[in-house]
Amino acid sequence: MMDWVFLGLLVGSLGMIGAYTVLIGENPISKAVENIYMGILSGYLFAMNWDFINRNAIANIQANGQYVYIISIILCLMLVSRLNPKWIWVSRYPVALTIGVGMGIAIRTTVIADFLTQVQGTIIPFNTLNGIVLIIGSISAITYFLWTTNYWGKATGSYHYLNQLGRLFLLVAFGVTYGQTVSMRLELVVGTMYNILLPDVAIYSYAFVVIIGIVLYYGYSTKRIKWYKS
Amino acid sequence: MSIVKKMLNIDGRILFVIMFIAVAFPLLHPIVLPMVIQPYSQQAYDFANSIPNGSYVLVEGGNIAATDPACGPALSLFVYHMMTKNCKLVFFELTAEGAFWTQKEINVGLGKLPASVPAQNGVNWVNLGYIAGQESGAAALAANIRSTVSKDYFGTSIDTIPMMNNINTAKDFQAAFWFGGSEGSVPYGVRQLVMPYNLPLGASCTTNEAPNYSPYLQAGQLKGLFAGVRGSAEYEFLMGVPGTALGQSMATNIGGLYWLILILLGNILYFISRARGEK
Repeated sequence: MMDWVFLGLLVGSLGMIGAYTVLIGENPISKAVENIYMGILSGYLFAMNWDFINRNAIANIQANGQYVYIISIILCLMLVSRLNPKWIWVSRYPVALTIGVGMGIAIRTTVIADFLTQVQGTIIPFNTLNGIVLIIGSISAITYFLWTTNYWGKATGSYHYLNQLGRLFLLVAFGVTYGQTVSMRLELVVGTMYNILLPDVAIYSYAFVVIIGIVLYYGYSTKRIKWYKS
Repeated sequence: MSIVKKMLNIDGRILFVIMFIAVAFPLLHPIVLPMVIQPYSQQAYDFANSIPNGSYVLVEGGNIAATDPACGPALSLFVYHMMTKNCKLVFFELTAEGAFWTQKEINVGLGKLPASVPAQNGVNWVNLGYIAGQESGAAALAANIRSTVSKDYFGTSIDTIPMMNNINTAKDFQAAFWFGGSEGSVPYGVRQLVMPYNLPLGASCTTNEAPNYSPYLQAGQLKGLFAGVRGSAEYEFLMGVPGTALGQSMATNIGGLYWLILILLGNILYFISRARGEK
């Protein structure tokens, strides 16, 4: 019997190595992997969403006679009208409804969850160094965006120092965000490499590297693939 | 062209090859660097540990193919952790892809359990599968599970699942954990579980999302956070159950160190180049 997990790892390994060839430059292998991935993902998402509608709407109509779900099925079908530019306006109604419901549900607790509690959480820990930095950072960063006292020109007086401090805090925050993003991307690389270097898979991964290398070398040497210049 | 200028204009592909070697080496030859447990990870571990035995725990699984290697180990370990506490786990996913990856990590977690720990589907855990609608879906599920989803991931009717007998809203749970990956959905949990139902919530996310959630931790809306592969590795370390995250975190450290050296070197060479008046 075929081990599907192992087969999945092999396909994944081939896909990852093929996708990483984009680092040399865009080539037919990287484009093929990209398109296959997008195709599979789209198909999978469609199947999962269809399954959700089938399990929770159609099944409920058939088994329990809950005809209210017909409305949701009609709204789903209206979304498909986007495929024809002439009928695209029909799809705007379910989109508007979805956004409206989503915003309504989010807003009911946003004021408390994302504003009041955050302010409370910022003010209360005044007895720790972190708390003091948090308060000074928050206030000075907010003042950086007070355009009413600083429009068209440079800030003056004591406000200038607060403004510059806010700028400093913002730059530190952006730096942290950049560092965390690099770290996250690195984790993605490590995660994928971990899978392709698993003891059972590694030998096949090396073989894939060699095969893809030969194909690309042939393509570039015969000028069938245009060399990418950075 | 001076050597400084040549180094500044080095082909990015050479840097990527060195990065590849820097990351692959610790994976092929594991090395252990000293590790300090971050406060957020410690808080998340303490929170998970403080969940009373036998509690019902609601778990969102938002990891996808890209984020599963980093955050998946924390999820599988959480399954292991909760099962050893005889907790009942109810999983749901707000992304279609997340349904598959969550089930995979559930299987990994269950596979680590000793035979003496009961871990039967439908009795000790249930995966409700993908719930469409993002935040609206989470809100609907929290308000009424049966009106949102009628069958679980395997197609079993929820009404026939023994552990779901008296469970239908977020009020029926004692705790929740949100494995958001990089989908940015942790605030959904805060807005739809913590605020309306006062459900204590822990979370896991990718490294880049962590700064966004620190205000929630500061405000006590989140009880703890496992951030990225390091968070997963720290969870493994605290639990004393070494897994894939510990090995990956060492590779990430080496890769991060290499990146840091590149940034420092790039800046130094830039200033040297500028001081020489080179264009």
